[in-house]
Amino acid sequence: MSTITKEQLEHLAKEFRYVITDMICRAGSGHLGGSLSLVEIVTTLYYRIMKIKPDNPSWEDRDRLVLSKGHAGPVLYVVLAYLGFFPKSWLKTLNQNGTNLPSHVDHNKTPGIDMTAGSLGQGLSCASGMAYAAKLNKKSYNVYCIIGDGESNEGQIWEAAMFAGHNKLDNLIVICDYNKMQIDGKTDEVITLEPLADKWRAFNFEVFEMDGHNWDKIYSTINRAIAVKGKPAMIIAHTIKGKGNAEVENKVASHNIKINNQSDYDKYMKGLGYTMQLPY
Amino acid sequence: MSYQDMEMRAVYGLTLCELMEQDKNVLCLEADLSKASGTNPAVCTAFPENFINVGVAEANMIGLAAGLAREGKIPFCASFTCFASRRVYDQITISVAYANTNVKIVGTAPGITQGPNGGTHMDFLDLAIMRAMPNMHVYSPCDVYELRAVMKYMAMHHQPTYMQLLRPKMPVIFNEDFTFNPKKATLIFEGSDITIVSTGYTTHLAVSAVQELQNEGIKAEHLHYSSIKPFDEDLLIQSAKKTGCVITVENQNIIGGLGGAVCEVLTEQFPVKVKRLGIQDAFGEVATEEYLLNKHGFNVEHIVKTCIDMIKSKRGN
Repeated sequence: MSTITKEQLEHLAKEFRYVITDMICRAGSGHLGGSLSLVEIVTTLYYRIMKIKPDNPSWEDRDRLVLSKGHAGPVLYVVLAYLGFFPKSWLKTLNQNGTNLPSHVDHNKTPGIDMTAGSLGQGLSCASGMAYAAKLNKKSYNVYCIIGDGESNEGQIWEAAMFAGHNKLDNLIVICDYNKMQIDGKTDEVITLEPLADKWRAFNFEVFEMDGHNWDKIYSTINRAIAVKGKPAMIIAHTIKGKGNAEVENKVASHNIKINNQSDYDKYMKGLGYTMQLPY
Repeated sequence: MSYQDMEMRAVYGLTLCELMEQDKNVLCLEADLSKASGTNPAVCTAFPENFINVGVAEANMIGLAAGLAREGKIPFCASFTCFASRRVYDQITISVAYANTNVKIVGTAPGITQGPNGGTHMDFLDLAIMRAMPNMHVYSPCDVYELRAVMKYMAMHHQPTYMQLLRPKMPVIFNEDFTFNPKKATLIFEGSDITIVSTGYTTHLAVSAVQELQNEGIKAEHLHYSSIKPFDEDLLIQSAKKTGCVITVENQNIIGGLGGAVCEVLTEQFPVKVKRLGIQDAFGEVATEEYLLNKHGFNVEHIVKTCIDMIKSKRGN
């Protein structure tokens, strides 16, 4: 699928942002900002990089993705649905009673989710376990793990980092969605992460930085990370929280929005600046 | 050396090696306490590939185990009970129980057996808090043969599990033929005057108490629960119907553990008087087992005396 054109990717991203905003608005609340900041990254991974079989989600040689910032479930759901892991009609059931698409990702509910996540800080440990198992089983798959910047406040992230560095898990590629905002404010004001790249280097990672919304940069940086041998890779993705929706873009309040009535719905949809046909 | 002459932790290490021999997916995870758990040098030298030491990072150990389990591995993760349960309660809740990953958590040196490490390490809560978690099985084997049977069961069944591991030599109750079924508790002594319920560490104390009571002409029925969850309700109810009074003895706080489980079953299905022996809602301290058993009121004499008092009270005199 690496032959997909940039125009096609642009179109997909536009549609994904539209659907994500609609899904969350229908649900009445949700983590819009941290889902929109990941659209280009998750799309690139699944459409251009990862080895996957949508008709066989547990194919043992597939590449794995652990969305450790599990609250960004909506961005992963829309990508998985468009790839055929499950019907697109499921998307409108986000957070509805009895849904297979809960706010935070759950491998027991959703085809294509490789690891349940939601309690921040745990996913990098799980991804390290999957990467370690690949070494033991002599499998060549890669494990991708997306963590949040706010999530990086959790001590367990650094326990896992120490482990992955020590064990030279070069099949582990961690991406930090560095949108520089967390629930209570800007990361620099709540508790600073800087110098972030140096921190990961100090934990024996090969560190890359990229513009998390630039298709070419994302594709080339992930490929450089895959090529690293003898250590795990960290890609610090500079992103914009709420990217592509003017109503929430670069706003702390975009972390979890509430939709109380039709005018709220209209406001958030209008923020996209375009209308599209919904797939459900 | 036969198993009964060995420390429980040595049997844990040896049995892990046997399980690894049979299934290369069985793994041993440690958080810098591998010597205390009995897996170093036994497991790390015999099966270095199956041995992972994460350092003093229990939270990472649990998450790592969940990821390994997602790939078909069967990780046994050990640490002191305090660090294997309460310290990583959220990690176990989400990455193991909620995610339903096949992770085995082994809490070593339970309760008063932490002796010299004192109050910070002496955990009286693990059975209660682990039992309160959906999807989780909770076991506490009392001797080497039961430990081996429990471990074999754990390796064979996809089931998030917490097991207490006593480290020293323990009096032998079972033999090599014992097979473990978590839905079945064990009737150790039949009797009709009172029911004594024990688990793990306290079972040998209860055995001694039953023998002393026999000398007094009292027939106590003794039930040993190596599985606190699932809990064999039928055996308990049957026994309570026969004896009309029950005492529980546990190396735990009396709130929520074995005593809690017994009271929940009996109050709903066959209310009889229950007395819970164990730690009476207190923290531990640096002390010998004998001192702590005496201080907290659950040594053999306490069990005997409590049984006699309860039988008297049942008979109305």
